[in-house]
Amino acid sequence: MSLLELDGVHAYYGDSHILEGVDLSVEDGEVVALVGRNGVGKTTTLRSILQLTPPREGEIRFREASLVGLETHEVAQQGVGWIPEDRRIFSQLTVEENLRAAIPGSDGVSDGLALAFDSFPILEERRRQEAGTLSGGQQQMLAIARGLVGENDLLLVDEPSEGLAPQIVADVAEALSEASEDATMLLVEQNLPLALDLADRFYIVDNGRVVDTGDADAVSADDERFRRYLSA
Amino acid sequence: MAGLDWPTDYLRAHVPHLAIVSLLALYPSIYHLLANSLGLYEAEILLPGVETMTAVLYFGLFAMSFDFISGYTGYLSFGHAAFYGTGAYTVILVANGAVPLLGPGTPFVVSLLVAGLLAVLLALVVGLVSFRLSGVYFAMITLGFAQVLYVFIRGWDYVARNPRDGPSVGPTHSEGFQLGVPGVDQLNVAIGVLTGDEVTMLGHTLGGTAVSYYAIGAVVLLCYFAMQRIIHSPFGRVMIAIRENEERAVAIGYDTYRYKLAAFAVSGFFAAIAGGLFAGFRRSASPENSFYFLTTGDALLASIIGGFGTLAGPLFGRLFDETVREFLSKSGQGGGLLPYLRAGLGEETLSTPVVGNTSLGTLIDTLLNGHASLYIGIVFVLFVLYVPDGLLGTVRQRVGGKLAHVSAVRFGDGSTANATTDDATGEEE
Repeated sequence: MSLLELDGVHAYYGDSHILEGVDLSVEDGEVVALVGRNGVGKTTTLRSILQLTPPREGEIRFREASLVGLETHEVAQQGVGWIPEDRRIFSQLTVEENLRAAIPGSDGVSDGLALAFDSFPILEERRRQEAGTLSGGQQQMLAIARGLVGENDLLLVDEPSEGLAPQIVADVAEALSEASEDATMLLVEQNLPLALDLADRFYIVDNGRVVDTGDADAVSADDERFRRYLSA
Repeated sequence: MAGLDWPTDYLRAHVPHLAIVSLLALYPSIYHLLANSLGLYEAEILLPGVETMTAVLYFGLFAMSFDFISGYTGYLSFGHAAFYGTGAYTVILVANGAVPLLGPGTPFVVSLLVAGLLAVLLALVVGLVSFRLSGVYFAMITLGFAQVLYVFIRGWDYVARNPRDGPSVGPTHSEGFQLGVPGVDQLNVAIGVLTGDEVTMLGHTLGGTAVSYYAIGAVVLLCYFAMQRIIHSPFGRVMIAIRENEERAVAIGYDTYRYKLAAFAVSGFFAAIAGGLFAGFRRSASPENSFYFLTTGDALLASIIGGFGTLAGPLFGRLFDETVREFLSKSGQGGGLLPYLRAGLGEETLSTPVVGNTSLGTLIDTLLNGHASLYIGIVFVLFVLYVPDGLLGTVRQRVGGKLAHVSAVRFGDGSTANATTDDATGEEE
């Protein structure tokens, strides 16, 4: 049985029908990339899993239990972590306080901080600094580190490389690559080479539906299937 | 040897606290020295009197409680006056023997705690409904609840013979409210404008108002530190996380609804304590000066002037507000600008025509007499436009962080500052 399964998920923003029956699955221990053009429903898929945008139809199962109808914090408590696009750090808390906030309970704080600082040493240097004063790249590192320390069974990662300088993207990719050795991830990423590099499998999303899928190792970024659905 | 260092480290991090508390503690003596001993007319006229400063303290506590929920979770509680009024009315009704199970002899501190607990219950009821909403809708629904309560209290003749005027402490409780440790006479003093104890220490006699100032100040300080500890606890961090990005806080796994509700209840508790202190000092309350929405408006004003989300800022905001009001009032406690000009300029100068047939005295009268609220309004607009972070927020920006952090670094070393954030967690000032 898959760790996560989406079965015919439909979601709306008001009257706008965004997801028109998304089907996908994520196995324990794998990294799955969701790729597609802007506005096709990739982020909404992640939001639906978290119940931030609850689906109106379809089923979402995590460890065989339905997530539909749960509150978002209950989904999170089941072990689903989120690294949102646009970072969404707590800008007036320090780096360390941001990380502490992501670790539920008092157990595992030291291990969590060690993991975060090991992945991103710059965060240790800036641990007392207000997160809002970090550079964009450092904020993204913090957002990722916050996701990593949360002891989640599944990490939903949304556009981790968006708006970052190439060198920072390389650091972020390395951290995600290291993290993926121990974590299960559903990754939304516009940077196709990066997505394929990190992922074991991919799904192509178009107009609110999954239109193609395959093994990431078996394709390259200039594959005809990607050109068809991802080119503007 | 870290264990031996902590008092020093703690004091280093609290230099701003100590400075402010010392200044406030010395204020009655400074005022007395300048206005009475040295006979400086300007001091008497221009500085706020001790009675005004006492009002600054209890209302400052109310403004801090407003900031606790509004400034730290981002949910504007426009109905906060309901908790202040609950505190004020509870204290008076207990003193009048109008609360079942609590006779007129109930210690004042117990009345305060009962008032606080009633406010907690009220906050839970209001919050259960209101926290289903956010933004302006939350502000409006809390305002709605408070206004319903205001109208109800205004017409409820159980609370007073004339409920529109509100209750006052009756003859069953003619002595001042004893503030201190219940059951230990030596650790209690009576507070009140006319009923406060006089205390003689080291050959110096403190009047009833000054004693009330210190007693109320001690409670306010205690409440401030309690709120500050909560803000710097993991619970407080979640409050800030809710303000910064509630969606993210929920997705981490925090049930933000419960956190907001708990923060609202805590805030209501301290608002009621403030209301209770107000009633204990004034010995009367009315719907207009407790439950009415403009009471919340004054707390909002103090928070904006002092600095939203700074906790201590609203106290300074209230001090600024009261000082300016008194300075501009026609006959404030300390006198104010108008009588000062009248006395200082002399009849001849005042009768000099300046515009047409209008004399300088008439012009000054026209500009200053009874217009304190107008000028306060202008000051408020200027603050919003040019000092959006408020007094304390701006000071923090200028010095590069919270004053406690800066103080720890300034008076100690860098590691001290780091240590403070670990356990004492970066005390705010």
